[in-house]
Amino acid sequence: MKTFEEKWTAWLDGQLTGRELLEFEASLPDRAAAEAERAEARKVGELLKRELGARTLTNEEFFSHQLRERIEQETGERSRASAVRRRKNSSWWTIPRLLWMGTVSLALFLVCTFLVMQNEKPAEESQYLTQILNARVDPVVSPDATVSIFEVKQERVTVLWTEGLQSLPADYAAK
Amino acid sequence: MQTEATPAQADVSELDLVRRCQVGDTEAFDELVTRYRTRVFSMIYNMVHNEQDAWDLAQDSFLKAWKSIERFRGRSSFYTWIYRIVMNVTIDWLRKKHIKGAGAEFDDAIQLRQVDPASKTVPKTEALPYEMMQRGEIRARIEQAIDQLSPEHRAVILMKELEDMQYHEIAEALGCSIGTVMSRLFYARKKLQNLLRDVYENV
Repeated sequence: MKTFEEKWTAWLDGQLTGRELLEFEASLPDRAAAEAERAEARKVGELLKRELGARTLTNEEFFSHQLRERIEQETGERSRASAVRRRKNSSWWTIPRLLWMGTVSLALFLVCTFLVMQNEKPAEESQYLTQILNARVDPVVSPDATVSIFEVKQERVTVLWTEGLQSLPADYAAK
Repeated sequence: MQTEATPAQADVSELDLVRRCQVGDTEAFDELVTRYRTRVFSMIYNMVHNEQDAWDLAQDSFLKAWKSIERFRGRSSFYTWIYRIVMNVTIDWLRKKHIKGAGAEFDDAIQLRQVDPASKTVPKTEALPYEMMQRGEIRARIEQAIDQLSPEHRAVILMKELEDMQYHEIAEALGCSIGTVMSRLFYARKKLQNLLRDVYENV
């Protein structure tokens, strides 16, 4: 449903037709006054068109040139901004990535250490070595006795080198 | 609606130019600017009545159009689309200027009107022909009258009377309903009739 203002405007611009036009014109209390006002509105329209219509843009080429420069500047700024954003994003990722890498490396190190330590069993001590270490040389019987031990753990070889012994101690006998 | 396009330029369809702009072709945009710059400037000038402001606002409007041209879907003509931007930029500017309340006293157009031609401080120049002076006065009166309209009413009356735009085109450009356009036209016309009666009756 159109308001009076809408119908008046449409009537003034010749946009009302058919039944709508007849109804509107019939509803006007003073047709002559309405027609006079329509004529005045048209005069205003003509006046505006005549007096304001042509406004030329001086320095048209400079206008376009200035706009081109602003667009180039804008495009440059936008690409710089997106580059900065990309850099920001990449640095934002670096810290978590470093933390993650560090954690993974530490975990790997711990796992490897654990495995290596499990595989490495302590070398069994030679039965003879135990005996030698437990052996005592009587300084009265053999005052110049020296006992040297050479041990190669990987090959499980222990060499006992004795010097200055007149006789082996009685308790030193392979059992 | 008339454009500045030459026949050779008109061969390139507006939509083609817009499509090229959407992939970053600044030359295509330059061509669109060439087609519409005078009309856009003229429209803004009639809204703000200051050449420098109109220039700046036209520049801002075209720059805004370039930035948002990717969003143009071709549902309306490019002209209507850019008018919407022009109107947004200009009406916003007019509102801000109105809120600030500053600037009007420095508006050269108003200052010129306020200068008394008989004043001793006015530099002596060649006398203007009577008709030109009279025309200048009429124009000044019209501008004064338009200044008294709200930005929305100015936009509607200028688009209708100067650009011969249809109601639906004006509605699209202003982002309002056709009914609102018609209603605004009603009040804008009434006000201008009252303010300019002595002008159009004597011309």
